[in-house]
Amino acid sequence: MEYALYLGCTIPLKMPHFEFAFREIANYLGLTFKEMEGASCCPDPVATQSISIDTWLTLAARNLCLAEKMGLDILTICSGCFETLKTTKVLLEEDKTAFDRINSVLKKIGYEYKGTSDIYHFVELFSQEEYLEKIKKILMRPLDNLNVAVHYGCHLIRPSKILQVDHPERPETMDKIIEALGAKTVAFAGKLECCGFCARLKEEIGFKLVEDKITELKELEEEVDVMVGVCSACVSQYDRKQKLLSRKTGKVLDIPVLYVPELMAIAFGIEPDKLGLKNRSIRPTKLLEKLNI
Amino acid sequence: MTEEEVINAEDLDYNFRYEISEKVGAKSLLKCIQCGICSSGCTVTEYVDLQPHRVVASCLLGLKDIVLSSNAIWTCSLCHRCTERCPKGVDYSFILALLRNLAVKAGNCPEEYRGTIQTIHDNGYVVPYTGGLATNIDRRRDRFGLPKFVPPDLKEIDIIMQETGIGNLLDKALEDKEGDK
Repeated sequence: MEYALYLGCTIPLKMPHFEFAFREIANYLGLTFKEMEGASCCPDPVATQSISIDTWLTLAARNLCLAEKMGLDILTICSGCFETLKTTKVLLEEDKTAFDRINSVLKKIGYEYKGTSDIYHFVELFSQEEYLEKIKKILMRPLDNLNVAVHYGCHLIRPSKILQVDHPERPETMDKIIEALGAKTVAFAGKLECCGFCARLKEEIGFKLVEDKITELKELEEEVDVMVGVCSACVSQYDRKQKLLSRKTGKVLDIPVLYVPELMAIAFGIEPDKLGLKNRSIRPTKLLEKLNI
Repeated sequence: MTEEEVINAEDLDYNFRYEISEKVGAKSLLKCIQCGICSSGCTVTEYVDLQPHRVVASCLLGLKDIVLSSNAIWTCSLCHRCTERCPKGVDYSFILALLRNLAVKAGNCPEEYRGTIQTIHDNGYVVPYTGGLATNIDRRRDRFGLPKFVPPDLKEIDIIMQETGIGNLLDKALEDKEGDK
């Protein structure tokens, strides 16, 4: 099946290495897509929605219209985009008045929103049996000895009534993908905690949440080799704040954080040099050593 | 609010609850039974002046000014656990977004958020993508062999923002910029 690839803006503009890893593994998995030219920011579910729900819905509906014109469903590579686009579709299905109001604005720029394209996050696809089997076949470098901490992040699984990706309190989609790579996923109490990135106006919240989660991971009996996420905000939050916290508190907080497609790319045999793994605060040096790369 | 503070009944805005619940996504406000599950699972519960269940109670009581000037509506981390766990289906995260919209309309818009809207307006993205910045970004993308990035028509973004009623936030910003020159 072919998809309209919605890149969002943070990943393609600030983290092109994430996009590269995604495109590489998608290619290995035989996933085909068309580029969504002229797409804007999803827009972001924090500032835009806070200022005006209507602006948020209309800008999102404009992006959905682009996919409708292509006659394709949307595939997203970031949880923030996924939440915005999927919530817009669901809300406009439920609220006929909003549907009409938003279309009356879109008409002024020559668009009409119909609600015919569905929205998927790549986690939904890759955790299906068909893809898990493909992943196991492609595996060039099984991650047998790795202990991986999975961070689901909020905007992939909640609210489950709208997003419908996974169980909101006992999710397993991401674990399935990581286990298909041969790695072991660790159990820990803070697994479903928020990264705090969206509490933008009080940065201390983000620092506290990152410190709590990473401290717990450092205290586990088994050594955690890497933490993984599927949202550009979560991944950069844990990566950058760990380093700042180490400096501030003197604690050793140094768990490398990768975007799931990056870990998949490593397992698929793609050379780490190509993946731009140096573009982060905590370099996964020890991780690569453990994999004998 | 201190314990001793007294609010007169005539200062309550009894219509406030309906101002919120008339929006389809926020209709659930009226179903709250004050069980407090939202507050017990709230990521930011220790940082707010009003916990989620108290925000809802205050909306129902008509304490509009207290709600709209609280830090609670801006401190949320959008984890959606409140909405997820509510046994009555109250969509607190959506209600909170609506309350922030009302606060903005009343003239209280945090500069950080306004700045983001301005960036989206001027670039189509939350990341500045013009001039030298765009050249640098394109060069980085080239190094990874990524396809050329085709930005949106900014006129369309502008029309959407104007038509959905946030043009005033943007105009102000443009004037400020001109003033700086």
